[in-house]
Amino acid sequence: MKINSILIANRGEIAIRIIRTARRMGITTFVIKTDKEPNAWYLDEADQVIDFTEKLNDIPEFMDIERIIDNARRYQVDAIHPGYGFLAENPGFARRCEEENIIFIGPSHEIIYQMGHKTIAKDLARKQKVPLLDGSEGSVTGSEEARKMADRIGYPVILKASAGGGGRGMRVVEREKDMDRMFNLASKEAEKAFGNAEIFIERFVRDPRHIEFQILADKHGHVVHLGERECSIQRKHQKLLEESPSPALTPTLRKKMGDAAVRIARSVNYYSAGTVEFLLDEDNHFYFMEMNTRIQVEHPVTEMVTGIDLIEQMIRIAEGEELPFSQKEIRLNGWAIEFRINAEDVQSGFSPSLGTIEKISWPEDEHVRVDTGVRDGSLITPYFDSLIAKLIIHAEDREKALHVASLAIRKFWIKGTRTTLAFCRAVLQNRNFRKGKFNTSFLSNELKIHYHHEPEEEMLAAFFAVYDYAREIHEHEDKLLYAEKGKEINPWLLKKRLR
Amino acid sequence: MKKSGVLIALSSANRAFEFRNPLQKRVKYQGKYVDIKLREDPDGFSYIVWKNKKYMLDVIEKNQNRYTIMINGVWYSFTVETPFSFKRRKRLDKEGNSSARVAIEAPMPGKIIEILVEEGADVKEGEPILILEAMKMQNEIASHVKGTVRSVSVKKNDTVMKDDVLMDIQIS
Repeated sequence: MKINSILIANRGEIAIRIIRTARRMGITTFVIKTDKEPNAWYLDEADQVIDFTEKLNDIPEFMDIERIIDNARRYQVDAIHPGYGFLAENPGFARRCEEENIIFIGPSHEIIYQMGHKTIAKDLARKQKVPLLDGSEGSVTGSEEARKMADRIGYPVILKASAGGGGRGMRVVEREKDMDRMFNLASKEAEKAFGNAEIFIERFVRDPRHIEFQILADKHGHVVHLGERECSIQRKHQKLLEESPSPALTPTLRKKMGDAAVRIARSVNYYSAGTVEFLLDEDNHFYFMEMNTRIQVEHPVTEMVTGIDLIEQMIRIAEGEELPFSQKEIRLNGWAIEFRINAEDVQSGFSPSLGTIEKISWPEDEHVRVDTGVRDGSLITPYFDSLIAKLIIHAEDREKALHVASLAIRKFWIKGTRTTLAFCRAVLQNRNFRKGKFNTSFLSNELKIHYHHEPEEEMLAAFFAVYDYAREIHEHEDKLLYAEKGKEINPWLLKKRLR
Repeated sequence: MKKSGVLIALSSANRAFEFRNPLQKRVKYQGKYVDIKLREDPDGFSYIVWKNKKYMLDVIEKNQNRYTIMINGVWYSFTVETPFSFKRRKRLDKEGNSSARVAIEAPMPGKIIEILVEEGADVKEGEPILILEAMKMQNEIASHVKGTVRSVSVKKNDTVMKDDVLMDIQIS
């Protein structure tokens, strides 16, 4: 069925990203307006705005399944795109869309459920003979069983929430004596975060790389992968920089991992875009972690190297079209890197930095793509994530991409809030990063100072402070001391004022 | 007197940057003429041209003579002093009433979940000092200076407003 209208159940840069493709495809877009950011840019970009500013209940707007469904029906939209976060991986939401005959632009609710439940997903991978970390088959009942399991696997082990993700409900256990305490902590955290206290246990890999494969699959059984994304530069499981391809993969390893990702997708009759995540250890052994059943924040790096619009493919797959290419026809061209520019104060441990984006500008260049949801005057509120913009660089090879990135970051100017730009500079300056030698411990082990500054910048900043101060006093004097025209300035008054 | 005179920017780590005639074309830094050009581009960004390089700058906080300046994405805090006030400060520092203290303020309103350091503890730059919960997110608040915790102004479960002082840190 042809999709003529889409309700985007999301905001910010991803809403705008979806609107761009929808508009090109001649599809009418609907977005949701909240009282938390009633002047946000994405509202102006959409064809129609649905007003959620009036509070009907305590459910956050983008989580309110029934309200979104009601409005989708009222406005007779054909389809809903959930973006990422919020309801993107909520099987209940996908099921409600299916029940109401609204096309959910994503996989079926059954697939979302299976992949969302980590132990079910691992079982699927095991049946496909995809390498897994040694660990429990399914959840463990308590710390007693966890201890027995850990004795068999060998310490260190990691405890994870069966229903989890995103680093919550995870605990590394180094020694047997820590097991009881860690098990309780993990289980409590899992209960709190996901409403499910179930825990499973795995061998813990120290300092792995995080490599994920982009999958596209249609409803006719065709599955392809679009290469990998290297996402090892993370802080507390939050990705900060991603690239495609990964400096760690050889063509042989890429083929092996890509085939494994495709097998997993095939095993659940997957359709839509999806991402299969792996850990890669020092000896280049890879292990399946989980599959994400949504569009990812870092999807642009894949788009740049493949030339494929992932949002367009998601829409076409949802319409029932067949994939227009086979695995053989997919080429990876050059190198792409994405920098996440967040409103965070790197110098104070990445704490959130709120405020107004007074000005934002970046260099326009054939190598530079910027996906953003803010413009001059946009507010950074505490209600949503801190992502301001994604700076994506595409060039022939990694070296060139890093070079272009350094120049682009210097010219990426944001006035009004603290951002992670100085962190991006620090990463780019790091010698091991430049060599492609890094893993998920990069921030804790390698990058000692999380922001980069040049030796003379402090002096120049000091000058600016002095200049601003002097100018203010000067303007003040003009008002006070020159009120009587032609009168000589009173040096005593000035001296007093300067004090 | 107009457009002239000496002003000193004193950094939070107690480094002094002395400028003469900051508003004039010829600026002296630590007694020597320097070629600093301050410009504004059509978009309203201020930048300095220094040794053929552009540096984007912004005053991100200003309170009387206290400044926080962002340059190329990194921020620095200063107090701007006249030679007179600078001398007085130095004298007071010597007498032990050290003013080289920095207040760590709440970046956003929220609730104190955990305090990670005690009074008297030494902290490194970037070291987490407490956890502030805001909008269901737990945020580690870190010290942006190296020093010793002189006072902790909040306790567990307190709610704080933006810019409330959380801790005082004496810079070392």
